[in-house]
Amino acid sequence: MLMRVLLAEDDLDTRQFIAQSLRDLGHKVEVAAEGEQAREMALSAPFDLIILDRMMPGLNGMEVLRQLREAGVATPVLMLTALGKIEDRVDGLEAGADDYLIKPFAVSELAARVQALGRRQSQSGAVTRLAANGLEMDLLAREVRRDGEVILVQPREFRLLEELLRHAGQIVTRTMLLERVWDFHFDPQTKIVETHMSRLRGKLNEGGKPDVIETVRGSGYRIRSP
Amino acid sequence: MKLHSESAANRIALAAFLAYAGATLVLGVAVYFATHTAFSRQMDARIEQASEAIVAEFQEDHVAGVLEALKQRNDGGPDALGFALFDAAGHKIGGGLNLVLPPVGWHRISFIDPLEGADSAQSLTISLDGQYTLVVAEDLEALEGIDRAILIIFGSSFAVLLGLGIVGAFVLATFLRRRLATIKMTADAIIAGDLTKRAAVGSQNDEFDLAAISLNAMLDRIVSLIGNLRQVTGDLAHDLRTPLSRLRNHLDRMHSLEDPAARNVLIEDAVTQADDVLVLFDAILRISEVEEGSLRRAFGPIDLSRLANELGETLSPLAEDSGKHLDLDVQPGLSVQGDRELLAQALINLVENALRHTPDGATIELAARSDKGRPMVSVSDDGPGIPEADRARVLQRFVRLEASRSTPGHGLGLSLARAIAEAHGASFELGDANPGLVALIRFPVAV
Repeated sequence: MLMRVLLAEDDLDTRQFIAQSLRDLGHKVEVAAEGEQAREMALSAPFDLIILDRMMPGLNGMEVLRQLREAGVATPVLMLTALGKIEDRVDGLEAGADDYLIKPFAVSELAARVQALGRRQSQSGAVTRLAANGLEMDLLAREVRRDGEVILVQPREFRLLEELLRHAGQIVTRTMLLERVWDFHFDPQTKIVETHMSRLRGKLNEGGKPDVIETVRGSGYRIRSP
Repeated sequence: MKLHSESAANRIALAAFLAYAGATLVLGVAVYFATHTAFSRQMDARIEQASEAIVAEFQEDHVAGVLEALKQRNDGGPDALGFALFDAAGHKIGGGLNLVLPPVGWHRISFIDPLEGADSAQSLTISLDGQYTLVVAEDLEALEGIDRAILIIFGSSFAVLLGLGIVGAFVLATFLRRRLATIKMTADAIIAGDLTKRAAVGSQNDEFDLAAISLNAMLDRIVSLIGNLRQVTGDLAHDLRTPLSRLRNHLDRMHSLEDPAARNVLIEDAVTQADDVLVLFDAILRISEVEEGSLRRAFGPIDLSRLANELGETLSPLAEDSGKHLDLDVQPGLSVQGDRELLAQALINLVENALRHTPDGATIELAARSDKGRPMVSVSDDGPGIPEADRARVLQRFVRLEASRSTPGHGLGLSLARAIAEAHGASFELGDANPGLVALIRFPVAV
């Protein structure tokens, strides 16, 4: 899904880097170098996603976000910050940011988050069943089936698979999984995601079935398309 | 005496002295007036009594009785009272008092003392049936004498007290200045760069000694912080240099590489090396943020038992993958005030540390329990442990016991765990698990 993205970032290098990365992914990107300008642009034209740098001269990202939300702009906002402070993340989410990314980040991380935010908007209503590539999940009965056969998984593995299926066809990064499955907003510097993912895979692929989960090198995981 | 008008010691001494002098003055004035009033009343009572007695004589024997009474009293009466009787025409007809007839009532009069000349007295003038006038008076000399005595006593004692007060104030001011000067000298020496100076602590255990003890403790803390800072800066420089120079070499080699596949490998390596540096920075920033303590504002009740169980479930596959075993021993219902993610990070670091430093087949135990109302979590292993002498050292930032620094990890895991424990008001200890290492976080008593 291609999006119109507004990027507000005061550092020229970072701005060009992010804008180019997003354009390479096929998104349309408009840039603002400071807060005031970003606010005016966001108020005058519709965007699918706004990426705000938290620290900008003049009007900072938090302030822009607050003013946009007050003006009734509901566009998803991805906040960028140079400081990985716990307080900053909490403040940003409280001010109405939809996601948060700490600089420096891998392009793949940014791409995955941008895609997830774009999709979030189009998704509505509570989902109780997920299915892709022969996999089925019943979120109410907490049941996983592959080709109709029930597979027993641990609660964490269930949550991992759920995240992947919710974003079927998209890359879900290791950081996103840590945040959503474990509610960890820090990097524990251990192979938590990898280990649990490998167990989940083992269970899903039992009997020599082809791997439905694809590891995207340096990025994350994705449910393979059929 | 040298004047230091800006000296707080002098101001304190002066204020104490003025309060003392003022109190003495008030006391003197009060005693003076009280005594004076009491004696004046007694005098008036004597005059009244005597005049009543004479009036009684007049009612009994008329003027003859009065004259007789006056004669008797004049001939060596017991008191200093004087009398005078005047007829209707204003001529004095009896009594020894030599004066001009005052009007009826109480008066301060002047009379002629046969010995001393004009003198003042308190007098009562009474009319006897309108024909005669009786004057009864008492010389004020006695009262004045008492007044004078009081004034002299208080005046002289006030002068003595004033002298003592000035000396006392001077001594107090000098004492205060001298005690403070030693502290100031220490501070000045430290400002000048000598961090080893400490304020002298006396033996009295007074406020100055207590202040000096606190000051010295503060200085010790500052010195240890500076030492820590120096060490961190040095280690940081070292730990950054290594991956950065490796990164530099990789980038350098890319210049000369033609094969795109080999080049891609180098690029990935370079990204990993840059990530290592960033991870190191993140860990340092995280420790600073935790040590700063401002996170405490966001603390809330945390179900410690649940967190421990979750971590056990999350980490035991990791242990198994590395050929080890993670046991859980969690008492239910434990709750602490804190931040779930920080506590999770501390425990993950401890388990990770145990996994890293134990041989295959080792058992690691994550336990949470309550000890006399204090919730605590511990991570223990049956590996080689850490010699007691090294335990304090491994808690310092960047310290890894292997001098070669060849094992993975940046040496910040335990520092961060300790910083997190301390931010929660908890103690952090490393002990002997016989065999192996136990890391214990003991929280304050739950409220």
